[in-house]
Amino acid sequence: MGGGTAALLGFLALFVLFLIRVPVGLSMLISGAAGIALLRPRATLPVIAGEAFSVSSWHALTVIPLFMLMGNLTVVSGMSRELYVAANRWLGRFRGGLAAASIVGCAGFSALSGSSLAAALTMGRMALPEMRRYRYDRSLAAGAVAAGGTLGILIPPSAGLVLYGILTEQSIGRLFMAGLLPGILLMLFFVLTVFIVVTLRPDKAPRAAPSRPRGEPTPTLAGAYWILSLAVVTLGGIYAGVFSATEAAGVGAFLVLLVALARRSLTPDALGDVVFSTLKACGTVFLILIGAYVFKVFLGYTEVPFAAARWVGEQGWSGGQVVFGLLGMFIVLGTFMDAFAILVLMIPLVQPILASLGVDMIWLGVMIVITLEMGLISPPMGLITFVVKGVAPDVPMGAIYRGIIPFWVSMLALLVLIGLLPQIATLLPEAMYG
Amino acid sequence: MSRPALLRGLRAAVTVTGGAALSLLLGITVAEVVGRYVFGTSLLGAEDLAMMCLAVFVAAGLVGAAEDGGHVSVDLIGRLAGPRVTRVTDALARLLATGATALTAFALFAKGRCGLECGEVTGTIDIVHTPFYYALGASMTAYALLLASGTVGGREPDWREEGESGERRG
Repeated sequence: MGGGTAALLGFLALFVLFLIRVPVGLSMLISGAAGIALLRPRATLPVIAGEAFSVSSWHALTVIPLFMLMGNLTVVSGMSRELYVAANRWLGRFRGGLAAASIVGCAGFSALSGSSLAAALTMGRMALPEMRRYRYDRSLAAGAVAAGGTLGILIPPSAGLVLYGILTEQSIGRLFMAGLLPGILLMLFFVLTVFIVVTLRPDKAPRAAPSRPRGEPTPTLAGAYWILSLAVVTLGGIYAGVFSATEAAGVGAFLVLLVALARRSLTPDALGDVVFSTLKACGTVFLILIGAYVFKVFLGYTEVPFAAARWVGEQGWSGGQVVFGLLGMFIVLGTFMDAFAILVLMIPLVQPILASLGVDMIWLGVMIVITLEMGLISPPMGLITFVVKGVAPDVPMGAIYRGIIPFWVSMLALLVLIGLLPQIATLLPEAMYG
Repeated sequence: MSRPALLRGLRAAVTVTGGAALSLLLGITVAEVVGRYVFGTSLLGAEDLAMMCLAVFVAAGLVGAAEDGGHVSVDLIGRLAGPRVTRVTDALARLLATGATALTAFALFAKGRCGLECGEVTGTIDIVHTPFYYALGASMTAYALLLASGTVGGREPDWREEGESGERRG
């Protein structure tokens, strides 16, 4: 059997397995292993074991559990709530302010956790009941939390950028710096989107949250002091070259642990919850990675990536055209596939093509992560929408998707802007590394 | 021992094992930074130790996620077909998933057995990979048993609305 036919059958098997609800990681493992058995039968077991072990003991990936631990400890320590309260004090006095505050809260939380799902879950639990209390339109409330959650995969530390960096052999520190400005810009776009929505449709949010009680001090950043300090230490440490990304994750998690201990918020039960949540989140990610790496080996055996690179080269397309097509494909894939699975499956496939066209891989990483963010909130499989649904079970999925549309459009606007002005992504890494 | 008690025990074992590996990983990472900036020296074999801690942590995490129904799957068929069809596809999915996890466990035990003879050691301080292959193999075995016993997989998400699709975990 030819490599092309085998690859086609492999992808077909993969989608059938997805369709019948086999876990994503195992779907890739099954179709990858079956494909290897077809092409090089004796390699099947060694490849499965080798990939499972090498992914599970990959030093660069230690950054994922450490940042997830930091995020979970941040919740237990109460710092994420303080951040939300501080953002609310600043923005709550405007129409739509609670929705804007939940986005800012998500952005701040994202600076201490690489996970979009964790950001949406943490802020959703706090912000959605609050917005319901003030009679916010449920689609706007859900849309704001879902969109805010996506910031977790762009604002460093980002698990998506870590994986992209590993796959493309780019510096993770450089990628983190590249994600910072676009992340902040996207947060501002989201806040602006909230204000545009409530200006056009004032019925979507009450005029403002009740004004500050007499005697209450003017809003300050005091409540967010700890979380901002920790973000400065970890990201500043990477920027200044004091830490590697892994070390920043370790030091950050250790400092949050100290804060949680000092506040006596880390009870034995809470500690157990933190550990189990971190285990569960990482177990999910690593099963997908193991499956994706087995599938990647199978794809390598088919020689399809090189054939594709050759074919694209023969068409005479420019780097911009290929990137444009690629991002479109990522947006479509993101509607039904997991972000990590897309990265591991697609990057090795397209990297030879992009490298031959001289595309800036740092800039591309940021663009790809934004498209993956769009997938996280796109129907029918946007993972974050289901997190929001889990927090607010009475809100219909249709309402959640309606609420997401304006934010999705603002993400597309940012994507176009960074496409036109790559410096938004490349300015900081170039200033840092030259 | 009843099934809930067994699952509680499994979760406790996974939390303790994973927690110990995570603590060690955290300690090694911080010690490496402190060693470099305070004592001007690097911890010998820190990377090797961190890698093996990660392997144990992942082994625990795979079971933890499975036990808690945390592994992500796509629920498109829920929209396309009724419960009669999904009962059949869920059974097929569980069968395939059980086979895949059992095969992975077998592959890990088989490859891990070779250890030192096959050069399966870490790069700096020669930690033999065998016990870590076994830890991952045991984890995949536990996942396969959870699937085979019907404890995970094929469950309907409790928030699910009629006619809706989405992601589910199992």
